Amino acid sequence: MYGWIWRHLPGNTWVKALISLVLVLAVVFVLFQYVFPWAEPLLPFNDVTVDQGMAAVR
Amino acid sequence: MTATDHEQDTDRSTPSRRPRRVRGAIASVISVFGELLITAGLILGLFVVYSLWWTNVLADRASHKQSDEVRKHWASSAPKGPGKLDTKDGIGFLHVPAMKNGEVLVKQGTEDTILNEGVAGYYTKPVKSELPQDKKGNFTLAAHRDGHGAKFHNIDKLKDGDPIVFETKDTWYIYKVYATLPQTSKYNVDVLDAVPKESGKRKAGRYITLTTCTPVYTSDYRYIVWGELERTEKVDADRTPPPEIR
Repeated sequence: MYGWIWRHLPGNTWVKALISLVLVLAVVFVLFQYVFPWAEPLLPFNDVTVDQGMAAVR
Repeated sequence: MTATDHEQDTDRSTPSRRPRRVRGAIASVISVFGELLITAGLILGLFVVYSLWWTNVLADRASHKQSDEVRKHWASSAPKGPGKLDTKDGIGFLHVPAMKNGEVLVKQGTEDTILNEGVAGYYTKPVKSELPQDKKGNFTLAAHRDGHGAKFHNIDKLKDGDPIVFETKDTWYIYKVYATLPQTSKYNVDVLDAVPKESGKRKAGRYITLTTCTPVYTSDYRYIVWGELERTEKVDADRTPPPEIR
C-alpha cells in the first residue's frame, strides 16, 4: 500500500519524501481537526458528571 | 544474495510460474493488511496524543480567554451592592490549592460543550445546583479529570480540612473539605442532593460538591469531594485573596 503510493509519487527521492511529509501532516490535521473531535464523545473515556443515564432521562 | 541462491531461484521458477504468482498475490494482500494494522496503531497513538495533550492546549486557550473577559467585566462594572451574578460568561473562579492548578472558571451547565473549554460547570440537571450566595443548599460542580484542561486532575490530592475557595465578583466563599468518596457509580445522583447524606450530613447547610471521573484516564466511576462553607469574606479593592490561597 505505502510502497504503491511511494512508486506513484512524482519526482526524485527528495521530492517524494517532501510530498510524503506533506501528506502525513495533512492526514494528522484531518484527524485532529475533524475525526478525533467526532469520535471522542462516542468513546467512554471522559464522562465526568453523575446522571441517571441519558436514556432514562429522555 | 549469493550465487547459489540465485541459481536455486531460477531453477524453481521455470517449472512453477503460476504458484509463484499466487504466492506473490497472497504476500501482497498480507503486506497491505499488515500496513493497515500499523496504520491503525499509529492512529490510536495519535488519539492518545490528541486526548491528553491537544485538548488541553485548546481548552486552556479557551478558558484563559473567557477568564480574562470575566475579570475585565468585573473590573468595568460599577462596584455597587451585592450585584447579580453573571451566569452567561461564568459566575466566578474556583481556587483549590491542593489541586495546584490555579484558578478554574466556573460556568453554568455540565454539557460537554461547556466543560470542554477547560472550565468547571455547575449542575443544572439532573439535580439543579444551588449557588454559593444562596442561604442553604449544595453548590455542585463537575470538570474534566484528563484532557480538555483536566481541571480536576488532582482531585485525589484533596484531604479533609483542605480549603476550596470560590471567588465571585464581590465575595470570597471559603469552604473546607469534610468528606470524600473515591469511587461511586456514575448514576449516583444523590451526591448532588441539597443535603448530601452520603457525606454524613443530615441538616441543611451551605455545601460544595466536586465531581469528576475516576480512575484516571477512564470514566467507569465518579470521584466526589464535599466541602462545607466555613466563612465568607468581602472582596476588597485590591482583590486581596484570603489567607488560604495566598
